[in-house]
Amino acid sequence: MHYLLSRLGQAATVLLVAFTAAFLLLQAMPADALMIRFESPELGLSPQQIADLRIAYGVDAPLHVQYWHSLSGVLRGDLGYSIESGTAVRTILADALPRTLTLAGLSLVVAVLVAFGIAFAAGLSRFAWLRSALRAAPSLFVSVPVFWLGIVLIQIFSFRLGWVPVINPGPVEGLILPVLTLAVPISAPLAQILVRSMDAVSLQPFVTVTRAKGASELWTQWHAVLRNAVLPTMTMAGVLFGELIAGAVVTETVFARAGIGRITEQAVRTQDIPVLQGVVLMAAAVFVAINLTVDLLYPRVDPRLRGKVAAAR
Amino acid sequence: MSRSRTTGAALILASVLVLSACGSSASGANDDAASAGRNGEPVTGGTLVYLEHQAHDNLYPPDAGFYPNGGIVNNITDRLVYQDPETLELQPWIATDWQISDDATEYTFTIRDDVTFSDGTPLDAEAVAANFDLYGKGDPDRALIVSEAINNYSRSEVIDETTVRFHFDAPAPGFLQAAATINSGLLHPDTLAGSFEDFAPGNSTEVIGTGPFVITDESLGTSLTLTAREDYDWAPPSREHQGRARLDAVQIEVTPEDSVRVGSLLSGQADVVRYVQAQDEAQVSGAGFDIYAPQTNGVNNSLSIRFGHEILADLRVRQALIAGTDRQEVVDTIYTEHYPLATSTLSSGAAGYVDTSEHLGYDPGRAEELLEEAGWIEGPSGVRTRDGEELRLVVNEAAPQPRSFEALTLISQQWQEIGVDLQILRADAGTYAQAILDPEQVQLYHSMVARADLDVIKSQFHSENRNTLANRVGEDPVLDEELEGLLEAVASEADPDERIAHTQAVQTYLAENAYVIPLFEEPQVYGAGTHVQDFGWESVARPDWYQTWLDQ
Repeated sequence: MHYLLSRLGQAATVLLVAFTAAFLLLQAMPADALMIRFESPELGLSPQQIADLRIAYGVDAPLHVQYWHSLSGVLRGDLGYSIESGTAVRTILADALPRTLTLAGLSLVVAVLVAFGIAFAAGLSRFAWLRSALRAAPSLFVSVPVFWLGIVLIQIFSFRLGWVPVINPGPVEGLILPVLTLAVPISAPLAQILVRSMDAVSLQPFVTVTRAKGASELWTQWHAVLRNAVLPTMTMAGVLFGELIAGAVVTETVFARAGIGRITEQAVRTQDIPVLQGVVLMAAAVFVAINLTVDLLYPRVDPRLRGKVAAAR
Repeated sequence: MSRSRTTGAALILASVLVLSACGSSASGANDDAASAGRNGEPVTGGTLVYLEHQAHDNLYPPDAGFYPNGGIVNNITDRLVYQDPETLELQPWIATDWQISDDATEYTFTIRDDVTFSDGTPLDAEAVAANFDLYGKGDPDRALIVSEAINNYSRSEVIDETTVRFHFDAPAPGFLQAAATINSGLLHPDTLAGSFEDFAPGNSTEVIGTGPFVITDESLGTSLTLTAREDYDWAPPSREHQGRARLDAVQIEVTPEDSVRVGSLLSGQADVVRYVQAQDEAQVSGAGFDIYAPQTNGVNNSLSIRFGHEILADLRVRQALIAGTDRQEVVDTIYTEHYPLATSTLSSGAAGYVDTSEHLGYDPGRAEELLEEAGWIEGPSGVRTRDGEELRLVVNEAAPQPRSFEALTLISQQWQEIGVDLQILRADAGTYAQAILDPEQVQLYHSMVARADLDVIKSQFHSENRNTLANRVGEDPVLDEELEGLLEAVASEADPDERIAHTQAVQTYLAENAYVIPLFEEPQVYGAGTHVQDFGWESVARPDWYQTWLDQ
């Protein structure tokens, strides 16, 4: 209980630091969203009209006033409005987060399945050529540009074969190609780490003992090797999930999905500070949550860690 | 004291004559769609899937200059006045009649009494007045800007239920056309009472107009559905089609990736797509699909030369830059036949256009002579120098304009030949926003403006508007008072013929002083399936779905 409380305290601190850092960094950027939005010659506003707008938005107020204003807003659950479009940041995030989480979550599941498939098959395979082909697959996967892969998948499966539409797809149809696109490069580092740690575990004496006791190769791989090789992969999966959300930018643009990735890209492009702050806070929250989950899961997988956590409680 | 609409019509007629005299090749070169469909009687019904390049970012009409916004506002709102997209003539719409005072400071409109908003409330003079009070003055507290199209607005006066008068502080001859632009789309007084945030994506279904379509569904940043109003019965009388829109609905899907947009069209997943890039046109037309390239009829896609910068203060240098630019090569290499070579600052489809191509010829030999005369001698690295300073200039990449970077790269190569080093500014939005306002950072400004009124030239060059020449920087005094005066004359001259003369004077002045390098007349390029009939657009090429139907 005490362990959980202290972890939550840490999480709150991380969020506050992330918010403050984001606030300061965004303020330090050249120009501001208001200038980009209203001072663009496209609107043809006169200097007087622009000055009136700056006053109305309060962007020229002292830094600490602005900081307190947005922090107190965040504490009240009010993330403000996008300067570019005027939509409430809360609405934008609430709308985009589920889409990105679905995409990232499914991609992670598919990536893990692919990674396990590769690693397990490579460990079991009797043929040297197949083993080396399987071991080479992660390097190939990781070097495929997501953008290119997305376009190729669309061209083949949607435009040529007509199997899945990209315009007006059903809820499941709409996920197939983006999930594949995202899963392939993510499966690569997972498979690589899993293959390597399975190699390392295979050389341990206890594996030899298991074999000597007459366990089948399949049983050995599954119970003795994989179980012990899974920890580093789990850590990696936690880190990658965060990256998945950030890395969804390209996939979401190619597949025209309005997720966190695309929103972030747009907000960065227009220096839309309220939206960016919302994204940073949310990303920090997701990272904190995932790290917490991974840490709490460790002892379930590895009995050796149970004592340590118990001691920490 | 008042002159009637006939005089207004004469004004228009004059500009039309100017247009036809110049043999406009521009607008709708291949748009038989504007006349009847090729396969017989129009059909009512069906949903059209339209792919947009970007998501819309607000529906406040004065913000509708951004194409994705304008494409929506144009279909959910009506205007007081209708501007025929082909002839640019101004005709009755919600206003059945109007009078303009001789000095163009008072406009009196008689409005139809049978028009209702999509929530059932009738549209009366009171509501019309509320619209223009907001668009003419803006409200900074609600972050609602003034419409760029409306100048010198003072106040409205409701005379009776169907008559409203607008007063101006100074002559506002462009107001009649302003009342026809999407920036003056008529909205419900309750919608107008909202702030910028209420017009934002996410609230789109709450934006209530009187137009032929209503926004019925919105998915933030990805899609929006326009549904036809069954009881719509107040189309401009001059339009061939009357009554409700022919389509049941238009589904707007945001598809940012060019190849996905074109591929979706070709594989039959979409009916119409916007922003077919020049390099993709052949693929679309080659597959038997239609390309529509309506013109935007305003200030051409061009480079404004900021003469306040010390290198460019010399007329000979500016003339050399123009003579060193092979504009024909730019158009032929980077664009297609839908991007006609510019022959003036204004498009040949624009009112008041005058041909200034005599000042725009390509002559690299002459360019080098002029630079020599101005004291720029060949330097060791191939870049000319004067007193040790290299002849280096910066131009902005105009991201919203088609293939800006490619065109500028080619120009930069052409200028290398005459010893000028042209750098292209590509930067994050903040750096960019600051740099383009500062002639010390950006000496050549790449841009265009779409608006089918004589005022457009003032919008582009006046120091209080887009100020593309940086004729005034910050609080400094205006550099070229004569140009300012000429531009103000265009926007405040009440006499129609005089106004056209002023616009022509501005173009001639800009050409003689070598202030602008016009590149091409910018179209909006759409691709459509052959089953899409009567696809139309308003005067600056924003889609108009009212008459469109599907032949399937």
